[in-house]
Amino acid sequence: MSYGSTIKVPFGPQHPALKEPEYFLFEVDGDIVVKVTPRIGYVHRGVEKAFEQETYLHNLYLAERICGICSHAHTTCYTQTVEGLIPLEVPPRAVYIRLIMAELERLHSHSLWVGIAAHEAGFDTLFMYLWRDREMIMDLMEEISGNRVTHAINTIGGVRRDITSEQANKIKKFMDKFEANVKEYMKVLETEQTFLKRTKGVGILKPRDAISLCAVGPTLRASGIKSDVRADDPYLAYGEIPFNVITHDGCDVYARTIVRCEEMIESANIIRYALDHLPEGKIKVPPPRTIAPNESVGRVEAPRGELIHYARSNGTAKPERYKVRAPTLGNLASVCQTLIGAHVADIPMILAGIDPCFSCMDRVVIINKDA
Amino acid sequence: MVLYEIVGVFIYPGIAFLFGLAFLYEWIDRKFFARVQNRIGPLYTGRSGILQPVADFIKLLSKEDIVPASCEKPIFSVIPIVYATLPLIALFVIPITGSALIAFEGDVIFLMFVSALITLTVFLAGWSSAGSFSRIGSIRSALQMLSYEIPFGLALIGPAISTHSLSLTKIAQWQAANSSWFLWLQPIGFAVVLISLLAELELVPFDIPEAETEIVAGWLTEYGGRRLALFRLGKDLELVMASTLVASLYLGGAQPLFFIPPVVILILKSIIVLLLISFIRAIFARFRIDQMTSGMWTYLLPLMIVQILLVQFGIGG
Repeated sequence: MSYGSTIKVPFGPQHPALKEPEYFLFEVDGDIVVKVTPRIGYVHRGVEKAFEQETYLHNLYLAERICGICSHAHTTCYTQTVEGLIPLEVPPRAVYIRLIMAELERLHSHSLWVGIAAHEAGFDTLFMYLWRDREMIMDLMEEISGNRVTHAINTIGGVRRDITSEQANKIKKFMDKFEANVKEYMKVLETEQTFLKRTKGVGILKPRDAISLCAVGPTLRASGIKSDVRADDPYLAYGEIPFNVITHDGCDVYARTIVRCEEMIESANIIRYALDHLPEGKIKVPPPRTIAPNESVGRVEAPRGELIHYARSNGTAKPERYKVRAPTLGNLASVCQTLIGAHVADIPMILAGIDPCFSCMDRVVIINKDA
Repeated sequence: MVLYEIVGVFIYPGIAFLFGLAFLYEWIDRKFFARVQNRIGPLYTGRSGILQPVADFIKLLSKEDIVPASCEKPIFSVIPIVYATLPLIALFVIPITGSALIAFEGDVIFLMFVSALITLTVFLAGWSSAGSFSRIGSIRSALQMLSYEIPFGLALIGPAISTHSLSLTKIAQWQAANSSWFLWLQPIGFAVVLISLLAELELVPFDIPEAETEIVAGWLTEYGGRRLALFRLGKDLELVMASTLVASLYLGGAQPLFFIPPVVILILKSIIVLLLISFIRAIFARFRIDQMTSGMWTYLLPLMIVQILLVQFGIGG
């Protein structure tokens, strides 16, 4: 049905479906979206410039605070980049501890997202259950690192804290319970008709579009493309640990949900394997204070997708240039494509489908002088 | 005699009693909903938070009153009062204590009229507040009404055909006299009335007009303070209306049992209906408006027509 003209519907920067400020202008024909114009830059914090002002050690705390959810992914990427600049060999035990934290963080981020997806679909009960489990993962992370959110376990040259054998046993025990719970939730998601109706066939992102629009992470894998930095360019100890790269051919929001659920189970397996094969030894080597002129790029598979950090040193204790590319920026172009042809009621579902983290993404601020 | 009637209207089983029930039902709904979701629910106000709905109501009353500049002020001010009054009027014809405050032949039709008016009030509430989210919400609620109103009406008519009466009191008494509930006689009708009431009350899976993640609070977005308090009271009263209506139409109404007064029986029955409603709203996700309308027309209406045909052929009453 067409009414001849389109209506412009603003979405954001304040909107209950968006936990962070971002603005989208939808042109709507009846109930169907025909054009999407995103506007980014509401939470530009000048992170990259701030990196140039402080020493490498101080910057660790800055990297930690780029994202509130995948803070460990950012420090892992930061330490990896800086250790590439020096270059510095990290003790194997520290590598494994970093990996375990990274996977715990993936569990917490994915369970958060699946909960949000259920909430967007009006399925609050599942949201509550998933967030209850997420709370227990946060407790585990607090026990290991001392912090719930900004874990601050990474440091240049290793990790700050060790995992004791009691902690390892506790984590392993919880992983069994968590895996059983996730399987239960997956059964609910796969059979609950109202949820299927809201997610199946919604927000189709064809594999060809996914590649040409540079989608990353679970969004890309839900379009059936096997791409995961952990497998393609193994960092930490991912080369030594057997795991599957989860893909799904659905290309819709449902596929993105299932990919994340299965990744949670895979992460639980990785954590168990890593704890069983935890090498002995030191957890830290001292890094030098100044770094000779060099360039380095770090790639990490954050829960939301590929995260890239770039650094250039100039012989001082501070980096000359630092660049952060958060996964949401990679997914933004694809989500705008996906939204075209969607119902207005499906906008929150599709937007949430990429697990957006706009505050981590903003590196520019756009000023419209004419407005 | 006049004094007796005044007490009847204002205290028991009238306004004060119904307000009490409304707050009690909101608490039961919230508590049960929370337990299903593995939460605790209201806890601090009164014993196990039983006074929380009252506290919320008083808090909202004391809040600042904000009127949007571009709204239609007369409608915007009157609608909350109308919205709180309509379910109250409907409750006057439902035989809560065994006999209704106002009982007359044809009150089933009056009830349908009131329930349609409630939705129209919702539409006006959203439309007059002139917010974009409110407008979408009010259009959605009108669309929703178009789809559930007819099956709902038919579901009320089913028992009426069997009992040859359009009076709720008589329908309830018929069930008591024949000691057979319409739940067993017309199970499809029971299911349909429950689903339509979920849509009427705008609860999950039909909370489309106020879908939080899509359109903020839908038609309620621009309301705050005492207006919102009245809307919430109206919603609670609607909850009482829906559960007591189902209890008296399909669960035998206020039957006396041994020494227990009929009003207690009816309240217990309606609480069962309330728990059923809470449970349904906990285990489903929200439909999209087009899925809801097409689902209602393709499944609910034919099912209800089958039920009416069965009744006509003498099956189920």
